[in-house]
Amino acid sequence: MNRALFLSTAVAFGFLVVIVRLGNLMLLDHERLWAKAQSQYQREKQIDVKRGVIYDRRGRELAVNLDEESLYCDPTEVASPRTAALEISSVTGMKYSDVLEKVSQSGGKKHFVWLKRKLGDDEVLKLKNLAPGGFGFVNETRRYYPNGSLASHVLGFVNVDNKAEGGVERMYESTLTNKGGKVVLERDATGKVLSQGLELESKGNNLVLTIDEGLQYIAETALDEAMRKWRADSASVIMMDPFTGDILAMANRPGYDPNDPGKTGPEGRKNRAIMDLYEPGSTFKIVAGTSAIETGAVSLGSMFDCSKGYIEAGGRKYHDVHKLGVIPFEEIFQKSSNVGAIQVAMRVGAGKYYAYAKKFGFGQKTGIDLPWEAAGRLPDLKRFNGASLPSMAIGYGVAVTPLQILRAYSAVANGGYLVTPHVVAQILSPDGEVISSFHGTRTRILKPETAATFKRIFSLVTEDGGTAKQAAISGNHVSGKTGTSRLFDPRTGRYSGLYSSSFVGFVPEHNPRIAMIVVFKGAKGEVYGGVVAGPVFSEIAEKAFAYMNVPRDDAFKNNLVYLGDENQNGVKGAPQWSRN
Amino acid sequence: MNGRTFYTGQNALAVEKGPGRPDRVIIILTAALVFLGALMIYSSTSVITYAMQQKQITTPLFYFKRHLITIFLALLAASVAYRIRTDLLGKLSPVLLFLSLALLLLVFTRLGISAGGARRWLRLWPSTFQPSELVKLSMVIFLAWYLSRDFFDPDNLPIALAPLGVMAVFQAVFLKQPDFGGALTLGVITICMLFLAGVRLRYLAGLLLLALPLAYYLAHEPYRLRRITSFLDPWAEARGDGFQLVQSFIALGRGGFGGVGLGRSMQKLSFLPEMHTDFIFSIIGEELGFMGATLVVLAFAGFFLRSTRIAGRMGDKYRQLLAYGIALMIALPAMVNFGVVTGLLPTKGLPLPFISYGGSSLIVNLMAVGILLRLSKGEAMADARQDKFRETIERKKARRAIYGAGL
Repeated sequence: MNRALFLSTAVAFGFLVVIVRLGNLMLLDHERLWAKAQSQYQREKQIDVKRGVIYDRRGRELAVNLDEESLYCDPTEVASPRTAALEISSVTGMKYSDVLEKVSQSGGKKHFVWLKRKLGDDEVLKLKNLAPGGFGFVNETRRYYPNGSLASHVLGFVNVDNKAEGGVERMYESTLTNKGGKVVLERDATGKVLSQGLELESKGNNLVLTIDEGLQYIAETALDEAMRKWRADSASVIMMDPFTGDILAMANRPGYDPNDPGKTGPEGRKNRAIMDLYEPGSTFKIVAGTSAIETGAVSLGSMFDCSKGYIEAGGRKYHDVHKLGVIPFEEIFQKSSNVGAIQVAMRVGAGKYYAYAKKFGFGQKTGIDLPWEAAGRLPDLKRFNGASLPSMAIGYGVAVTPLQILRAYSAVANGGYLVTPHVVAQILSPDGEVISSFHGTRTRILKPETAATFKRIFSLVTEDGGTAKQAAISGNHVSGKTGTSRLFDPRTGRYSGLYSSSFVGFVPEHNPRIAMIVVFKGAKGEVYGGVVAGPVFSEIAEKAFAYMNVPRDDAFKNNLVYLGDENQNGVKGAPQWSRN
Repeated sequence: MNGRTFYTGQNALAVEKGPGRPDRVIIILTAALVFLGALMIYSSTSVITYAMQQKQITTPLFYFKRHLITIFLALLAASVAYRIRTDLLGKLSPVLLFLSLALLLLVFTRLGISAGGARRWLRLWPSTFQPSELVKLSMVIFLAWYLSRDFFDPDNLPIALAPLGVMAVFQAVFLKQPDFGGALTLGVITICMLFLAGVRLRYLAGLLLLALPLAYYLAHEPYRLRRITSFLDPWAEARGDGFQLVQSFIALGRGGFGGVGLGRSMQKLSFLPEMHTDFIFSIIGEELGFMGATLVVLAFAGFFLRSTRIAGRMGDKYRQLLAYGIALMIALPAMVNFGVVTGLLPTKGLPLPFISYGGSSLIVNLMAVGILLRLSKGEAMADARQDKFRETIERKKARRAIYGAGL
């Protein structure tokens, strides 16, 4: 056979094999290899999200973002680790040995080490002047709370990676950061991004809170002052619109600065208004009172014998502070008689009483949009013993949060509805469009007449003969109830010598603008709610009304507006006045 | 002549027709491939990649401009080769071979340049030159000349296998560089030409047995073994030794039937190493698709078959072997390159003739085409006239011998 022909055939066959192989790779494997290719060009990147701004109800900024530089280092690029470490530590105040360790990560092939996150402006300036090789800056945003500790428990704070650690920051994390902010980038083999025109920074949605910065400030200032006066262990104030459930102010002591949360321990960061459980004491008498009237077990004007000053029930003795004699139903609340309240509750009966306690929402979360809310504890009806009802009647044997008590009194203030408290009014897009507004549900739990009756009964508390004349304000009628209870120490399992002192109420009596609770724990010197919490309520309410321009109850007489002295035809005549 | 050679004299008639024109098909195919090469080099290097930045190449036209200059020089070289008388070329071939060896050895002096762990280039202002390319052409010419001498006897073992000694010297130098691909190509071309010249098959078979321990030894060079294993299953080491091959597959696979379009390769963005040299065919596949890639393969196949036809038309064994050798010299590296790029053969650096960026290869290959074109023109007639002239002189000499000097 011809050798040349043989060789030519072999070579031609070789080319044929190549073509077959090409067909195999390029036609049959096309889809698979295309996908492989895409996966290596494309990379999903979590885009840097600027957290949304948090505003108060009037649009004032409560949480904003600042651009700050962070210092990093590429240890493989540092020529002289010792010199560099010395320079860095002298400017930043970091420990020399720490810096040296990070800078001279010998052996390791790391190309990126954070040295200090979020530097101050002066530090950046100094470091940039030094400009040691192998160091660089990364622009990061830092969350900043312009008002410092104001409303810190509502706002929460973020850690160094801008992750929320509490408050609405945590509750609305996904809203504020717009989770799912991912883009697909095309890149070359060295990781250089090829895609253009993509927004690599996204802004989160903004929040508008129901909190009013002014009211919050009034509440916190009053709280600080009272804390100094009473040297209490802790205190909380919640101010709420009783009709809508808008939280207007919420403050706790001890507090913390969200700009530097590490400085304070976890005690300072706890939002006691919704997390701290306590036995409410007399403020819980609202359950006995309302249930008695609603069920008809007691009628207004019924008389109760409190002359002995104590009552025995379920094998225990319950005392009043003073012997009150035979008093009408209303005075039980005005003077906060334990003996009377227990008698009322006994008449209602455990079953109905328990049903009302549940109706008021005790033992359940209020549903406020803040993290870690406590549900409280209402003992199960089946496990009631003889002491259960009388204890509960005067606010022992149950665990509640201040917010739950406030909500119960708001039901009286608003004519019988249980509202859902909330701190976020609106969610705004970065462009300022309203994405959603809060529309709370409310449930009727009391008849309007009952609510009206108790508005009046509770207003007696701040009048002569009441337990909280200190809570009254000038010009408007305050309705409320005091509460004083011994504090149970869960560590020892006994009641400590300390008391919780509270006042909860709403004002003005007839058309309430605010409902508010003030709770002190461990106040020194005085313990009664009317004495300790009452004046704080009064101070806050009075200033709040000035701030809110709430007319005085007696304003009808004074508040006439001079319209002029021309009649409709332009002829001078008698002066015209109009009521505002 | 015996029956094992392909020279049968059947086509002698064709020779009688010459001198004619240089073969147009060869011209068209070569021009098309060179043009495509320039286009693809422009396309694949028009983006300034990271690797280019490392080399401080900052203009996108850097490679393209240099390639255009190379094409110009290669055309000059080809036209010079076209003008050299083929028989003179054969006589000069031992000198040529010696010259290439000298150049090849210069690589190891201070004139040499090493890159990527290999010393293969000579400093030649303003560029570099790779003598191993010249060696291939010299060897082809030398073999064609040697194997067609009268003293050559395919059945005489020492004479038949003497070219292997020459080959071995060059291979040794190649391996020293190291340039395994070059050594292998040279070996394959040499053995193919011995085969064509009619060397007994059992000699060649014995040669293969001799080569086995050598192959075993070479396969045990660690990096070479890795290359071999990575070629068998590149995906297993997609981030290591199989990386280049995987990237080549991805480029080809992305191309599909019609390609992603000229200039729209993604793989050229630093994913595929040596995209404008040894792996330019992957980029062709990606941008021009199966259609384009197949056309390129067919162009090389066409070039090869056309060259063998030219070889078949040649009137003497020297020219036949020379034409066939040039056909092999182009086709075999092309086939090996296709095989490497498509994963049929182990990865080794071998440029695609006419297309890859790399001056020495293009210049030498176009010189070979120049020689081929001269052969296709039917220069044999001119040379035959020379032979006739020589015959007259011989006759005169003989007459003088018979009749004495005094006549």
